[in-house]
Amino acid sequence: MEPSRAAEPAEFLTGRRKFHLFGLTIDECIKVFFGGNAVVSVVVLALITIFLFKEGFGFFGLNQQSLRVYRQAGLEYVDIIRAQQDDHTALTRYLSDLRLRQFNYFTQQQHLAPAEANQRLAGFDEFADRFGGAVGPIRGLVSDLTETVTAIKDKFTNTENRKEERRQLLAEGRTADAAKVEITAVDFAAELKPLLATRPAYVEANAEFARQLSAVIASAPAMPIPDLQARMDRFKQLTGEYLAGFPAVEQKLKTWDYTRPVPWYQTVTSFILGRDWVTASFWQDWYGVIPLFIGSLMVSVVALFFAVPLGVGAAIYINQIATPLEQKLIKPAIEFISAFPSVVLGFFGVAVLGQALRALSQQPSLAWVPGFPFSERLNILTAGCLLALLAVPTIFTLAEDALNNVPRSFKEASFALGANRLQTIVKIIMPASLSGIISAVLLGLGRVIGETMVVLLCAGNRIAIPDFTAGLAVITQPVHTMTGIIAQEMGEVVRGSIHYRALFVVGLVLFFLSLLINYVAQRIVRRYRISIG
Amino acid sequence: MAALVNPHIFQTRPSAARRWERACFGLFGAATYLVLFCGAAVFLTIVAKGSRTIFKAEAPFINTTFFTDAPESLYVFEWQGKKLEMGDREHRAFIEQHPDAAKVKTESYIYAAGGIFPCIVGTVLLVVGSMTIALVLGVCAAVYLNEYARDGAFIRFVRLAILNLAGVPSIVFGLFGFGMFVIFFGWNVSLLSGWFTLAFMVLPVIITASEESLKAVPKGFREGSLALGATKWQTIRKNVLPYALPGILTSSILGIARVAGETAPIMFTAAYVVRDKLPWQVEKFSDFFFQGVMALPYHIYVVSSKIPQNEYTERVQYGTALVFLLIVAVIATASILLRNNLRNRYKW
Amino acid sequence: MVTAATLMETRSPAPNLRPTMPAAATGQPAGTAAPAAEVLIDIDHLDFFYGASQALYDVSLRLDTRKVTAFIGPSGCGKSTLLRCLNRMNDLIDGTRVAKGSIKIRGVDINRPDVDVIELRKRVGMVFQKSNPFPKSIYENITYGLRLQGATTKARLDEVVEKSLRGAALWEEVKDRLHTSGLGLSGGQQQRLCIARAIAVEPEIILMDEPCSALDPLATAKVEELIHELKTKFTIIIVTHNMQQAARCSDKTAFFYIGRLIEYADTQQIFMNPSNPQTEAYVSGRFG
Repeated sequence: MEPSRAAEPAEFLTGRRKFHLFGLTIDECIKVFFGGNAVVSVVVLALITIFLFKEGFGFFGLNQQSLRVYRQAGLEYVDIIRAQQDDHTALTRYLSDLRLRQFNYFTQQQHLAPAEANQRLAGFDEFADRFGGAVGPIRGLVSDLTETVTAIKDKFTNTENRKEERRQLLAEGRTADAAKVEITAVDFAAELKPLLATRPAYVEANAEFARQLSAVIASAPAMPIPDLQARMDRFKQLTGEYLAGFPAVEQKLKTWDYTRPVPWYQTVTSFILGRDWVTASFWQDWYGVIPLFIGSLMVSVVALFFAVPLGVGAAIYINQIATPLEQKLIKPAIEFISAFPSVVLGFFGVAVLGQALRALSQQPSLAWVPGFPFSERLNILTAGCLLALLAVPTIFTLAEDALNNVPRSFKEASFALGANRLQTIVKIIMPASLSGIISAVLLGLGRVIGETMVVLLCAGNRIAIPDFTAGLAVITQPVHTMTGIIAQEMGEVVRGSIHYRALFVVGLVLFFLSLLINYVAQRIVRRYRISIG
Repeated sequence: MAALVNPHIFQTRPSAARRWERACFGLFGAATYLVLFCGAAVFLTIVAKGSRTIFKAEAPFINTTFFTDAPESLYVFEWQGKKLEMGDREHRAFIEQHPDAAKVKTESYIYAAGGIFPCIVGTVLLVVGSMTIALVLGVCAAVYLNEYARDGAFIRFVRLAILNLAGVPSIVFGLFGFGMFVIFFGWNVSLLSGWFTLAFMVLPVIITASEESLKAVPKGFREGSLALGATKWQTIRKNVLPYALPGILTSSILGIARVAGETAPIMFTAAYVVRDKLPWQVEKFSDFFFQGVMALPYHIYVVSSKIPQNEYTERVQYGTALVFLLIVAVIATASILLRNNLRNRYKW
Repeated sequence: MVTAATLMETRSPAPNLRPTMPAAATGQPAGTAAPAAEVLIDIDHLDFFYGASQALYDVSLRLDTRKVTAFIGPSGCGKSTLLRCLNRMNDLIDGTRVAKGSIKIRGVDINRPDVDVIELRKRVGMVFQKSNPFPKSIYENITYGLRLQGATTKARLDEVVEKSLRGAALWEEVKDRLHTSGLGLSGGQQQRLCIARAIAVEPEIILMDEPCSALDPLATAKVEELIHELKTKFTIIIVTHNMQQAARCSDKTAFFYIGRLIEYADTQQIFMNPSNPQTEAYVSGRFG
């Protein structure tokens, strides 16, 4: 018998001696290396969320404090009166508009010379002047009070700065210096006394204001034609409503109480529902995301309005109709468009498209288009068109994939039943790939809403909610966007300030918005995969 | 004519359905060609206007100073009846020669003269550094996720998270980079901050794409290799990675295009509006990593938003845009071609 | 032991691979005798699970050296699972485990924690249901396993390639295009290439998981012929759906049904005179 196998019983036991490093075999080391990289990647990607939160969450505390000071220093009180004044200003604007209409009527319909037209309007002008002048006492009051409360706020800010200074000195261990820092607590009750003392004066001024307005309105001149008269009547009605609101304002001022606490949720709602984004203001900073959100949304809607039909149409054409040669040439060409850097497109918008669109809008033959002609070169439409060009390749590629995934047999079965190509596309292929197309559109939306450079350069950067009363013409107004505001303001803010943190919160909103869009898109695709089998 | 006399039963007849079909197909085709037209319009406008800057009529036909000089201010003034345009240095020399020239009414346009050399250098540095980081981390993470990790709830969650992060706007990554690298780590506006910010921006894309490529390698390759007594690493190195590499490569080239093309993430992490020194002109080696650089995309942003549009500034604007567009386009085209090529070559 | 000796003798020496091999063993004449079969693989009361579902119930089986054993049975009966247990390919699937019992090869329990699964797989080769040549040249396909083990000299590799291809009856067909892609071969050739690849690393045991299921009858005949030749050198276990194939090329046959071993005997007996009525029903084609 030969030597037994038992002599080497376990070659495939740990037969070979192995190299060990920290008690691991080479294979295990490699696994640890890969695993380590994976952990680093995952940790870093998790850090993104953490850092956004870390920097962003401080905002809410600071904002609450800011709102509290707004109330305690009496800024809120003054703003109540100021609102009344602003409403009056709106009414005067209505009057100026009315004057312009009369002027146009006289010069264009009656063919009067401008000078003569102005003469005819002398009565109206006197009326308008009296109406405008009536607000005088109130305006004076607001201006006085503004000074008072700004002084209070400054005092408070100073105190806070001192406190901060002392805190820093203490942190550095310089107790003696810290003790030298004088801190005088702001006694809001005392400071606000002069402000509240003006209440009777206000009531008086208000009564005079109301009396004057009523008198002026009663003497309103008659309008030359019914159309304008109707406007005048409307004006009278508005003024009546305005006057009727006075007691409410007085009541509000009467019950106004600086000690009323600012509820915690207000810091959140003032961000999410706030209609103003005002920064670096001498009066009061507001961080309301609504104008930015609406700006982003409007731009995206315009972009998708163009991009969806074009992208999906092109996908159907390439996938179902085009000749093989067309397919071979056009697909890479459209993918090539997706490689355009967004900043180059933005530059194109500034340099070419903005002007071109404005020139186009000023063509008399296109005056029927809503919003045409417009004078702002950079607006929602300009940015939307460029973003559409960015979104088309995304939508096209994904939609084409979705169409490609429809099993051939569906199409063949339809043809075999005598359907033509259009019928097959509309009735078989589109429904089967609908969820894929919807998710393509969603991902296109994600791309558009997160795009920065194009909107920063081309959306006009006016922080205001666009005027929706203009109807469709709203798309020719400039807006600012969430991405744009971060890019524009991040470089200039003081680190750690409320403004800085507010920008991070905007980033958070964008972050979760894009996660949501992505997630929904994936859910839709997954469901669709299952349905096909 | 005779054919019309005897229509057979399968004769093509005009019908409403047929007209509809033709009309709809026409619309779809129009959409396609409209997209192409818009793309071509943008591309050709920039090419047409930009080539005036980067090419010239006489030899060597390329405006080399545009590629080798730093940006300068442009001075335009009338001198002895002629309109003169000069860059900053030239203008100063001219004034020294003709002191009277200082009194002439001179218009100056910032950045409108000179070239874009520092921007090209900065962009190349940013791309190389960030892609190195992203590829090492991304490919290794993908190998781990696809080859080593056991498929559990956690790994699935990680995958989902990575997939979703791929769609997060670049400005948010910029914000993150600003908060983490620039401020928390105290790296300030620097190459290093830019590298990591850009790397993490493309990381999800690279992980996802690499995993896709690894998944596309048939299971039989792994089993066959393991059954021959290969270790896991030998199997991955010899029989998985080589076949996944083309796909990984394609995705990483696309990643390069994205990294090179993005402006938002570097705006406040790595890019300077202007910087006189070139990146290698540093006192000590470590300063290299902690310096900000000029970058092409940011330069385009600056010249298109911060200086007025006129015939003098137009040159540098379009020239820069064209150079940048060409760089990105070449990278993207390479990846598209590579992918199409590989798709035909590798079929299992 | 004769078997070990003959096994080694028919191959070229690979000293770096088998350092512990006694020199005396190589001197024995080849295939001198077919002594009473020796137990090579001993499966003892094996229970096997995929996650929560049990795939094998209490399987006990002893397989002999240098015999062809066929595993037959309807789909899902556990025959492939058992086969993949023998070189622990099931490790690659998450959630699989041996709950009870053992598999011993040459007396060593291969599921012991200190078993080097790589060494095990070098000893126990495998041919898959779907031929899976690597997308490399024929030459590289065959030398793949050897190169992993560090063999690099050209002469040695050339020798092994020719030997393996001859062993797999493929040499004549591909000798002029060794450096073209293995994917360019026909289905049957690809499968024989995979067999050649497996025998190139000189395993003792070759597992074949339905090697002919994707082949046409002509290619199948060639592979079966090959199995016949290979059994002089290797222990072969073949899983098959094709009962004629089992009858044609195996010495012993094991019939499985829903995870249990129903009957294990000489092939002739299984097909001519099965002792179990279920076996009879299956081999006579009444179900499965």
